Amino acid sequence: MSIKAFELVPALERTLLIGDKTWINIECIECCGRNLYVGTNECYIYHFLLEEKTSTSGKLTFIATKQLHKYLGLKKPVNEIKAASALNRLMVLCDCSVNLLNMINLEPVPTGAKIKGVVAFTVNENPVTADPFCVEVCTISMKRKTIQIYAVHEDRVQLIKEVSTPEQPVALAADGYFICLALSTQYIILSYNTGVSQDLFPYNSEEKQPIVKRIGREEFLLAGPGALGMFVTAAGISQRAPVHWSEDVIGAAVCFPYVVALDEEFVTVHSMLDQQQKQTVPFRDGHILQDFEGKLILATSKEVYVLVPLPLENQIQDLLTGRRVEEALVLAKGARRNIPKEKFQGMYRRILQQAGFIQFGKLQFLEAKELFRNGQLDVRELISLYPFLLPSTSTFMRSHPPLHEYADLNQLTQGDQEKITKCKRFLISYLNEIRSADVANGYKEDIDTALLKLYAEANHDSLLDLLVSENSCLLVESAPWLEKHKKYFALGLLYHYNSQNEAALQLWMNIVDGGLEDTTRSDLYEYIIDFLSFCSDHELVWKYADWALQKNEEVGVKIFTRRPLVESQTIGINPDDIINYLHKYRKAVVVYLEHLVFERNIQKEKCHTHLAVLYLDKVLGLHSQSRNGSEELTSARNNLKNLFRHSQLYRVHLLLGRIKDTDLYVERAILHGKLEEHDKALEILVHRLKDFQAAEDYCLWNSDGKDPLCRQKLFHMLLALYLDPAVTSDALVMAGVDLLNNHAVEFDAVRVLRLIPDNWSIQLLSPFLGQAMRKSFHSKCMAEVALGLARSENLIYRYTKVKSRGNAVALSGKKVCQVCRGMFTEPVFLRSPDGALLHTHCATKSSSPSVTVQTYANP
Amino acid sequence: MMKPDVKVVILGDMNVGKTSLLHRYIEKRFQDTVSTVGGAFYLKQWGPYNISIWDTAGREQFHGLGSMYCRGAAAVILTYDVTNRQSLSELEDRFLALTDTAHAECIFAVVGNKADLTDECAIVQTSEVGEEEEVSPSTLHKQVFMEDAIYFYKQIIKYKMLEEKDVPAAEKMCFETSAKTGYNVDLLFETIFEVVVSFVLKKRVNPPQTVVLRHSLKTKRTKSPCCS
Repeated sequence: MSIKAFELVPALERTLLIGDKTWINIECIECCGRNLYVGTNECYIYHFLLEEKTSTSGKLTFIATKQLHKYLGLKKPVNEIKAASALNRLMVLCDCSVNLLNMINLEPVPTGAKIKGVVAFTVNENPVTADPFCVEVCTISMKRKTIQIYAVHEDRVQLIKEVSTPEQPVALAADGYFICLALSTQYIILSYNTGVSQDLFPYNSEEKQPIVKRIGREEFLLAGPGALGMFVTAAGISQRAPVHWSEDVIGAAVCFPYVVALDEEFVTVHSMLDQQQKQTVPFRDGHILQDFEGKLILATSKEVYVLVPLPLENQIQDLLTGRRVEEALVLAKGARRNIPKEKFQGMYRRILQQAGFIQFGKLQFLEAKELFRNGQLDVRELISLYPFLLPSTSTFMRSHPPLHEYADLNQLTQGDQEKITKCKRFLISYLNEIRSADVANGYKEDIDTALLKLYAEANHDSLLDLLVSENSCLLVESAPWLEKHKKYFALGLLYHYNSQNEAALQLWMNIVDGGLEDTTRSDLYEYIIDFLSFCSDHELVWKYADWALQKNEEVGVKIFTRRPLVESQTIGINPDDIINYLHKYRKAVVVYLEHLVFERNIQKEKCHTHLAVLYLDKVLGLHSQSRNGSEELTSARNNLKNLFRHSQLYRVHLLLGRIKDTDLYVERAILHGKLEEHDKALEILVHRLKDFQAAEDYCLWNSDGKDPLCRQKLFHMLLALYLDPAVTSDALVMAGVDLLNNHAVEFDAVRVLRLIPDNWSIQLLSPFLGQAMRKSFHSKCMAEVALGLARSENLIYRYTKVKSRGNAVALSGKKVCQVCRGMFTEPVFLRSPDGALLHTHCATKSSSPSVTVQTYANP
Repeated sequence: MMKPDVKVVILGDMNVGKTSLLHRYIEKRFQDTVSTVGGAFYLKQWGPYNISIWDTAGREQFHGLGSMYCRGAAAVILTYDVTNRQSLSELEDRFLALTDTAHAECIFAVVGNKADLTDECAIVQTSEVGEEEEVSPSTLHKQVFMEDAIYFYKQIIKYKMLEEKDVPAAEKMCFETSAKTGYNVDLLFETIFEVVVSFVLKKRVNPPQTVVLRHSLKTKRTKSPCCS
């Protein structure tokens, strides 16, 4: 629990003051700047100069040099000395009066000014009057229950106020208008301005010596009951918890953040921040403990010492060395107001960082993280604890003096693997959190590289996320590490991120080919294809296309088919080059051509013909293998037929030539259809294939979207085939009848009636006849409607014409031409439909085409 | 040092569990405490407000400090031990007078601690089950009942010469708690903080009389019982 906050340093040795005159006792002390005054029981005042010396080893010593001594001639002890340096005066209480002496020569002021009848006095260090050449002194008067306030000038004193107290005062301290008094049975706060007093708490001054110390603006330290050091503000309330010192405290003083108390055997030091006792210094026969302008002076009756506070930084360091993080932080925070802001911030950050490492050492990661973050730790300090994580190129040096005592993680954990794993997990989460924060600025490479190494080592999924997102991993540092941990796929990603796509590809291909082992992705081949299809480096694409296609043509060809469209239109790969290249890959070239023809709708005869030829080759190939159509053949033929039907671009004659001698009749029929050789096509369908449904369908899709007459023509052609007297058969006749009955409206009924044999019964053809009649009647009705509409339209036009011609147009000399604004000088003029009159020559010039002009001849 | 907006003081005889109550609230655990010396002080952040909570010493020796701790307080928690009738009487006899220095609009709470020793319902562990030893079944005789606390609360109002309608209801401000099990502890402090925060707001609207000397003297004159 202890800390070294103060050091006891002798200031005035026995020999200097007392020598062999053992009857001399120190009664009181004043220290002002370098001046040390000592008052004795023999009525002497001694004046010393106190020099502070720091030896090379850093040890502080004081050297006192005697200046003067002065006998006051009263044979009474000197009770109290106070210096008023602004006035160059000493105020000395001796024999119940305060005398003014010259600070330097110790002579009384010539006017002999003094305050008489004083039991005790104090200087108000925060006086209300702002006169710099005046000191406010409060005294306990010899008059019963009275205190007096004086203004002390260079050579005169002036009573300002006298206030009576409820009981006899024993000790006092002053701040502003407030006087804190120890009365015989209690402490009170008195405002001498208003005379109002406020009880603080009871206290028996006969049992124990009261202590009243001003410790700061409007705050006092009092000796309370039960060995308490109580803090009280001028408002009469306590804002700090009391400290618990010893029963027989003689003197107390505050040197922030510590309360120092003197008893008969010890000097004790308590922190005002946590009320704990922090230091105990053995000190016998202590007599006086006072603070003078922040300097703590301690005296026995024979010697004088200084309690030198150790720098707060050292104290905090000591606490940190003792791993007392909480206390160190409390002290550091408490010290804020005593240290310049800039210095404090740097110091405090460092303390937080150190505290962070202590918590880290205890594997208290949550606390450590908070401290590191608040302390804005250079994260490399932390990374450097982990062996091999910082790049070897890093210029980082750990801060000096070091923030912690650990060489590395192994030392910290003493090789405990479980702890090491925990530490690594912590680092991962910490680095992850600060990656994007400001503190990462400048060290992004170190952070990301370290993170990559940790991920790779721990087989962490986030490795890939790191590599595919924006990162600053150092290639030279990361590549060997990934290789070492067999993270080849990740290594490829790293190469790719560093624009070394070829290296990445080779690595990945090696994995696919089984040369390297890495199971990160089971679909790595597809991944490579994907990668190549979006790769804008065409050279690379060509270089590795062979590999991709050799693995699997259908998948490999995606390199070309999946390329973004925008690219291929501008600077992309020319489709012809691709087709040429793909020659040796029969499946791939088909897929690619299909892609061009069906998906991209490329309107190039060459592509369509090429695809048709390839389809045909396939069909022929399969056809020759198996007579009885396999499923594959059917599908191949469907593809072929589909292309034949829907594409308009392939070279029909070429293909027709190819299949002329085969039995691909349907295909042939389609090709004939393309050449408008419907008779040939239908003949194949009807006579060769005897597939009447196909023939019917042929008529329908061939005339689809064309003139109805075209369809009629086709149906008649088909009917003629069915009824061809040269090749009559029942089947054909029946097909003909069905055709007529099912598609009655498509036929010209008159022509049909002429065609059909006379022996057909009405019964047989009744559906046809019914529909034909209906159609004919419908046409007649429609024609009548059209006629009626046309007539009425005609009537409207005629009405308009009559109306516009009906009225006479008067032309007078006053009328002007609407175009040139000139008078009409000739009888010939023009009148526009809206009634405007124009010159004939103006009308021809007039550019307005919307105006239809009618010429009128003057009657 | 952070300046607290408002002050809450816990009073009561020694060994009724003042420190344990506060400790339970702040740290969420029960811990054996030693007798408080002088007083202790906590700052609690409650929304935007800093509330200082003074844990006072119950020992007779420190009794004299009570008035000073209570000076300007916005709330006083008067604590007794439900198994000890005397501890309630002490509140009336010794501690109530200490609150004369509190703020004129100070609110009061009457709290009977150690309810786990007498009431089954208070034994329910609110947290960290199993960390503490089994709570012994109610063996001790309950000496103070809720009605007694409510009666005392009404006595306080009389003593302060206030109207019942102007202060929070007795049912709201009387609690039976257990620092050991945590029973009602959060409720106690949170109820008080909520009332007290409205007090701060009012204080902000009407700037406080900064010269507390004059102020408290005045209240003393008006509030002290006339028979003195």
